[in-house]
Amino acid sequence: MTAMLEVRGLHAYYGESHVLQGVDLTIEAGHAVSLVGRNGAGKTTTLSAIAGFLRPRRGVIRIGGVDVTGVAAHRVAHAGVALVPQGRRIFSDLSVHENLVVAARSVDGGWTEEKVIGLLPALGRRLAVSGDQLSGGEQQMLAIGRALMRNPRLLLLDEPSEGLAPKLVEEVGVALAHLRAGGLTILLVEQNLALASAVGERMYVMNKGAIVFSGAAAELAAAREIETRYLGI
Amino acid sequence: MRRVATWLAIAVAAAGLVAFPYWSAGWESSRFATTVLRDILVFAIFALSLDLLVGFAGMPSLGHAAFFGAGAYAAGIASQRLATSELAVTLAAAAASAALLALVIGALVVRTAGIFFLMLTLAFAQIVFAIAFQWTSVTGGSNGLAGVGRPDLFGIDLSSSERIYVLVAVAFLAIALGLRAIVHSPYGRALVGVRENERRMRALGYDTTRLRLSAFVLAGTIAGIAGALSAYSLRFVSAQDVGIGTSIRGFVMVLIGGAGTLVGPVLGAAIVTYIERVLSSATPVAETVLGLVFIGFVLLARQGLVGIGRAAWAQARR
Repeated sequence: MTAMLEVRGLHAYYGESHVLQGVDLTIEAGHAVSLVGRNGAGKTTTLSAIAGFLRPRRGVIRIGGVDVTGVAAHRVAHAGVALVPQGRRIFSDLSVHENLVVAARSVDGGWTEEKVIGLLPALGRRLAVSGDQLSGGEQQMLAIGRALMRNPRLLLLDEPSEGLAPKLVEEVGVALAHLRAGGLTILLVEQNLALASAVGERMYVMNKGAIVFSGAAAELAAAREIETRYLGI
Repeated sequence: MRRVATWLAIAVAAAGLVAFPYWSAGWESSRFATTVLRDILVFAIFALSLDLLVGFAGMPSLGHAAFFGAGAYAAGIASQRLATSELAVTLAAAAASAALLALVIGALVVRTAGIFFLMLTLAFAQIVFAIAFQWTSVTGGSNGLAGVGRPDLFGIDLSSSERIYVLVAVAFLAIALGLRAIVHSPYGRALVGVRENERRMRALGYDTTRLRLSAFVLAGTIAGIAGALSAYSLRFVSAQDVGIGTSIRGFVMVLIGGAGTLVGPVLGAAIVTYIERVLSSATPVAETVLGLVFIGFVLLARQGLVGIGRAAWAQARR
């Protein structure tokens, strides 16, 4: 069976700073994986490299078996990858409806505006409101909804719980669990271990640009040394 | 019902605008007013095209006059060298020349942003200005291109000042409505997306370089049409039409009126042209007034007249 995402020996730099030092990561189609680690571990950089924003110096990235290493971001998006970025990055001058429509990629039986609102009902009441009028939670829902409008095969999320109240984090978790149950392949980067464990069937722990642990959420919970040393718990 | 009433009012206003020289014929200053209004509309088209770049696509160009001038020269040269006054030929020559020039310059500048984009557009426009100024055998050099023929439209003579005004007014309305449709289309929303966050648009699958280039060529083409209309109106093209003065004039119009709106550039064109054409005959300090107005908007009202109007409307509704 071909993995939906396969990252092998990924090395990437910011200038002379060696940020990713041989990242290996695999996600089977229809599975959800969480990538956790302390600030500066290289989680967001890994997502940037997968999404095509950072050209790796070494290593391979395959989406559905197709090599997309170093491919431009818009071509990676056409390969079926959608990124929910850190800090939401919604278009503040566009309405909720326009934010969704601008991302739309029509697929038979795929995500439509109606389906997105069905999953994230808070957006349905704010369709005509411009992005800068939304609360942090609504902006996060919109960022997820906008990514779904791309009808992705692989959804990348970069710290969707950042800056959200616990109740809203719970809502994000429910939405992601629903997507996972629907068969969408998910790579979730999170600092919130509870959310990461709830969504990810498999956990990767990252430290200093490399994967230092991979296993089921329960295995990570049992590995107290890993949690203490790399996650500061 | 309200929507129908709104469009009916717009249709009546549009008809009134197009027929202005005829229903104002009894006024003592009708001809002067028609000329000023015609110039306002020509520059409103130019400012609208610049606003597509600055306000919607987030590409502040200081070289937009290159396309205005290219259109003006192409229309003038076509009417003289091709010995035809057919509007379809001379206007098409103007639009095609401006589009081609915008494609060449755009291909080289759209990958840049901010101050680099500003400087590169200015540099390319200065090259076009130098060519216009020095290629005397074609452009007339410092003497300009005089005696540009006014066009015919399928046998209808448009040489009278009233008819050339009607041509300009119809072109203005068509372009304004066309741009309205464009900025409200998915393409227009994508341009706003590029302006707000180009990286995000790439993540959504957009080839933003191509998107920016298409906007650059579209804006250049419309500016070229404005240049052709200017050449028909004034029957003269000069190197100043390509110069930085014309680019800055367009920029001032957009900023005073309000970037990122369709009404703003039209209001800006009206104010700037009024100060230059009407106020300047009443006071020798008209240019100073224009400078002060511009400084005032930059310091106090960066959203322009439209922004002031929106803020007042929001205040009144509270």
